[in-house]
Amino acid sequence: MKLGIVIGTVWASRKTPELTGCRLSIVQPVSSELKAMELPIVAADPLNLATGGDTVVYVTSTDATQAFPNGFAPVNASIVELVEEIG
Amino acid sequence: MFLARVQKKVVSSAKHKAYDGKTVYIVQPVEPDGKPKGAEWVAVDYVGANIGDIVVCGGAPGVARDVFHIDLAPIRTLIMAIVDKIEYAERK
Repeated sequence: MKLGIVIGTVWASRKTPELTGCRLSIVQPVSSELKAMELPIVAADPLNLATGGDTVVYVTSTDATQAFPNGFAPVNASIVELVEEIG
Repeated sequence: MFLARVQKKVVSSAKHKAYDGKTVYIVQPVEPDGKPKGAEWVAVDYVGANIGDIVVCGGAPGVARDVFHIDLAPIRTLIMAIVDKIEYAERK
């Protein structure tokens, strides 16, 4: 899992049925000092945890699909935790 | 798997239910001599590690499902062991 900050939302009117009702957020990967690293990615937010400016934990690859209620969705990154504090 | 130092604790208000009751740390991968190497990871603790410990981290798709016996577990990286000592083989 990695740390990131939500910097935007993607609006898509046509998407695969598995992503219906699921927000797609633009996440900037950050270090624990909240310094930007690498390029931003698009992450699914199946639990609707985060809005713009929130710090989150996201999970990538096969495990990203596990964040969905049925354990299946064509995604590569999912938001799984809304971070309140790092210390 | 990789060696890492446990750096910080992540406190979260809302999370996937697979994360309930689990301690989540930020770990910095290190070389065997303790020098930091590469970007930090977020990892779920499985052995009772503390901040400052050198640990063995790792994970593969679905590993958390087997370890925690949860059907749906979007957890990839686990802290799997706390390192007491690293012994080097003599170079021939």
